[in-house]
Amino acid sequence: MLRLAADMARRRISALSAVACAVLGGAALITGTGVLAESGLRSHLPAGRLGGVDVVVAADQTYRPAGDLPIALPERGRVPADLVGRLADVPGVTAAVGDLGFPAALVDAEGRVVPTEDPGTAGHGWASTGLVEDPRVDGAPPTGAGEVALDADLAAAANVRVGDRVPVVVAGEPAAHRVTALVDTPGAGILFADPTAAELAAGVSPDRAGTVDLIGLRAEPGRAAEVADAVRDTVDDAGLTVVEGADRGDLAAPGAAASRSLLVLLAGSLAGVILLVTGFAMAGALAVSVAGQRRELALMRAVGATPRQIRHLAATQATVIAAMAAVPGIALGYPLAELLRAELADRGVLPEALPLAVGPLPALATVLLVGLVVQLSARGAAWRTSRMPATEAVAESRVEPRTPSRARTGAGLLVIAAATTLSVAPLLSRSAIGAAGTSLAGIVGAIGLAMAGPALVRRASETLAGRLRPGVSAPTWLAAANVRGYALRLAGVVSTLAMAVAFVLTYVLAQTTVLAATDDDVETGTLAQHRLTAPALGGLPPDVLPAVRATPGVRAAVPLTTTTVIWTYRMFGEPEVETSSALVLDRDAPAVLDLDVRSGSLADLTGDTVAVSEDAARTRGAEPGDRIELVLGDGTPVRPTVVAVYDRGLGFGPVAVSRDLAAGHTTTGLDQSLLVRTDDDPAAGPALAELVGDRPGLALEATALDTGGEAPPEVWLNLAVIVVLLGYLLLSIANKLVATTAQRRSEIAALRLIGTTPRQIRAMMRREAALITVAALATGLALAAVPLALLGQGFLGRPWPAGPPWLLPATALTVAAIAFLTTELPTRRALRTPPAEALAGRE
Amino acid sequence: MSTAATGPAPAIALTHVSKTYQGGVRALDDVSLTVARGTFLAVMGPSGSGKSTLMHCAAGLDVPSEGSVAIDGHEIGRLNETRRTELRRERVGFVFQSYNLVPSLSVADNVTLPLRLAGRAPDRDWVTTLVERVGLAGRLAHRPTELSGGQQQRAAIVRALVARPAVVFADEPTGALDLRTAHEVLDLLRDLVDELGQTVVMVTHDPGAAARAHRALVMADGRVVDTLDKPGAAELADRLVTLGRN
Repeated sequence: MLRLAADMARRRISALSAVACAVLGGAALITGTGVLAESGLRSHLPAGRLGGVDVVVAADQTYRPAGDLPIALPERGRVPADLVGRLADVPGVTAAVGDLGFPAALVDAEGRVVPTEDPGTAGHGWASTGLVEDPRVDGAPPTGAGEVALDADLAAAANVRVGDRVPVVVAGEPAAHRVTALVDTPGAGILFADPTAAELAAGVSPDRAGTVDLIGLRAEPGRAAEVADAVRDTVDDAGLTVVEGADRGDLAAPGAAASRSLLVLLAGSLAGVILLVTGFAMAGALAVSVAGQRRELALMRAVGATPRQIRHLAATQATVIAAMAAVPGIALGYPLAELLRAELADRGVLPEALPLAVGPLPALATVLLVGLVVQLSARGAAWRTSRMPATEAVAESRVEPRTPSRARTGAGLLVIAAATTLSVAPLLSRSAIGAAGTSLAGIVGAIGLAMAGPALVRRASETLAGRLRPGVSAPTWLAAANVRGYALRLAGVVSTLAMAVAFVLTYVLAQTTVLAATDDDVETGTLAQHRLTAPALGGLPPDVLPAVRATPGVRAAVPLTTTTVIWTYRMFGEPEVETSSALVLDRDAPAVLDLDVRSGSLADLTGDTVAVSEDAARTRGAEPGDRIELVLGDGTPVRPTVVAVYDRGLGFGPVAVSRDLAAGHTTTGLDQSLLVRTDDDPAAGPALAELVGDRPGLALEATALDTGGEAPPEVWLNLAVIVVLLGYLLLSIANKLVATTAQRRSEIAALRLIGTTPRQIRAMMRREAALITVAALATGLALAAVPLALLGQGFLGRPWPAGPPWLLPATALTVAAIAFLTTELPTRRALRTPPAEALAGRE
Repeated sequence: MSTAATGPAPAIALTHVSKTYQGGVRALDDVSLTVARGTFLAVMGPSGSGKSTLMHCAAGLDVPSEGSVAIDGHEIGRLNETRRTELRRERVGFVFQSYNLVPSLSVADNVTLPLRLAGRAPDRDWVTTLVERVGLAGRLAHRPTELSGGQQQRAAIVRALVARPAVVFADEPTGALDLRTAHEVLDLLRDLVDELGQTVVMVTHDPGAAARAHRALVMADGRVVDTLDKPGAAELADRLVTLGRN
């Protein structure tokens, strides 16, 4: 059977290369998505500063909901400091080091802050030099409050030597320090005498007194595992985790490690659309391929092949081609994922140091998925021919006009109806998830169209043919006849192009509409004109707030920080877990932010309270006065009371926690930004600029700038995915159309024999291409119209979406170009063969 | 190998025609032939004897490597593909073994297609005459797939005649038909010649079919090796068998 399949394959290169291309691209995309997902679950940050220790003890930075994937917590949990001494006594431990990280930054001679990888935790105690085997210290340890030791790279960047006095901003407060030593260990940071470090850390956040961030243990050679077990017994859970080996890096920087879970989210949100699009493309290519083979399959039926054997033959042949194409496709998937990782790291969404986990699982999953799609579509495509009586099959295989089956049309219409139901999502949930319903509706609708298409195309073309003026030219008349007669073939082409149209429109416009609505929320909701930040310092110095408030022209200044919370709730009786970013607000917030509060009041946002968005309140049943269950960013479970419900959840997130509630549960303990409202008082601008100029590390920007800036990473990513998927889709469409046209050689030859000139043939084909273009655009638009109208209604309150005005004309042009080129070129090629030869070659 | 022409311009005139395909296969080797108007010529020969190539060259479907071909007095050697197509459309009709009707068109549309392509209005009386003559009057609205093989071939014959061509080429017209239907189609072709003065050139390997022609050529290795006037089926079969022995 295999040899037979291979023999038959050799003669139909054009159709099979379309299958191969679809599978190759599909395998690459699926593998790439798989690699991202696996990396999100299994990749580890390099151990970095912790490379010299064998065992690390730290707060468990993972929240493990029942029946769901574990969630990495971004804010540092603490470890009791007294544990250091106890662990030092564990047999096999040669050194136990308690490490503290707190905001610290070095200022160079020009008053600029020297950049560090993570300014929020750049300050450490001298003891942390014990984390590395050989810290290569040049100088003496710092002893008093006025002394520091510096990372050698840092010192070199600021041109500082041992003995110099340098300004160091600790926890936001600048002070001169004498440099006592340089430490040549990457990422060593700014080192203080241990008592000073403990004091400084506690100064940022009182909760940190008597705690360390993590404990690093060095073990006797070969006893790391044994020590780890012993330590686990000593620690006895208590919310701590004990790790060795590759997991150490994840504890070095919980924020970076938590961003890893973004990969899982990404892969999850991409998987749906990628599977649908690649599945559609592969199935489409196979349908064309098997259709071109119908006669052969029918003849095999006539010589005694059973229906099962026919389907098996079609499936085997498809699988052989797919297998050959899947190998390079899968191989391509890994660099593709790496490309995406590099882009994400460039955009600061992922830590640069986070590598991809390269394993065989994504390849395996791809093989299974692609194999399933190929087998099912090949068997499906051969189904009709295989089930017919042999003689009838041969007779039918000669001619295309076939009646599309009722079941197929009905199922297609059902799928389209289901797609329309999906598109209601934006009305129910004004969130990115709601908008995802729009994109899905477009694609699912196109799949429904592929099924119901033949009947619809036939009906439409019959109407069209009936209205054709009797005097039209022969090519036009022939084109119309072909459209009517070859409804199945044509519907395949039209629905593929319509899918591209619906896909592009719904996917792009879903992104841009959500973006526009978000921008609108943020813009109308932000009353402040300026934002003050200090990214290089790890957070805003505490004395900036009173200084800004005292600045002339400033009406109000309110600190604003974002953190991460995990909201656990029940939906339809099932426990649900939702990780989201959360604003940290205090009761002064209404002076700079208008969240459009619908019930309750932000004035009550003190103590154990939160405000939630209207969308979240409705779907998760959280009304003012209710208590909700949150897990804070460092893993602390809390049950705050809802005091307000606000409407601008799209711009400001589903939940805002009170400043009191978040205090002590963030890594740095400092505010991230300050929103300053000046109401355009002319005195305010220069005064604020002066304030910022006086203090190293502060940055002032206009809040309005934010919205006009670069697209947020998730929008950028979605658009990048569209470009890649669209390229893939267009390629497979082009392949499919070329294959379809190439299969019309004998039809073209027969027409030429009875006296159709090449010119007339080309004119006929062009007219068909024009009909295809119009039909594809019309159906694509029709499919996209309802979801997009609902999207616009849900997000913008008007029945049309927001997006670039060139999108529609560009889509129309692309569709037209593809339809024309993929008919014109194969037609010209077919015309080069003398018609008698072309016909002879068929039999 | 030529017979005297009955008019100033014979339906087909081949002069020293050779055709060599890529790879050096000489499918036709210096063939000269004139087909007079109103005659029925059968071209016979075993597979590979060059009878199909002869037909392709004579019909203007292909151009010869050497020599000249004139259809109804028009030299085709210097014409490009489009001009040749137009010439064929005006002066040559085709009937194929596999009918080659356009499946998406009705029988009526199929038979008038050549005229439509030429931008000419069909002569309704002529179409009606032909359709009635071949017995398809009640089938005009049907699709080709809804017709039997014999009916499809008769529709193809009407299509070949609709433009009143100088010559009709029939390539194994009965190859796909059962014996009885084949007889009917052959009768029809012969009647067209006798009643309407149509010229028909038929390529076949069936001596029984060739016996219905006025004249039969026997081909072998790219040459015309024999010409038989008013051939008998037995005589032709004999001749073919002898060829096989040589």
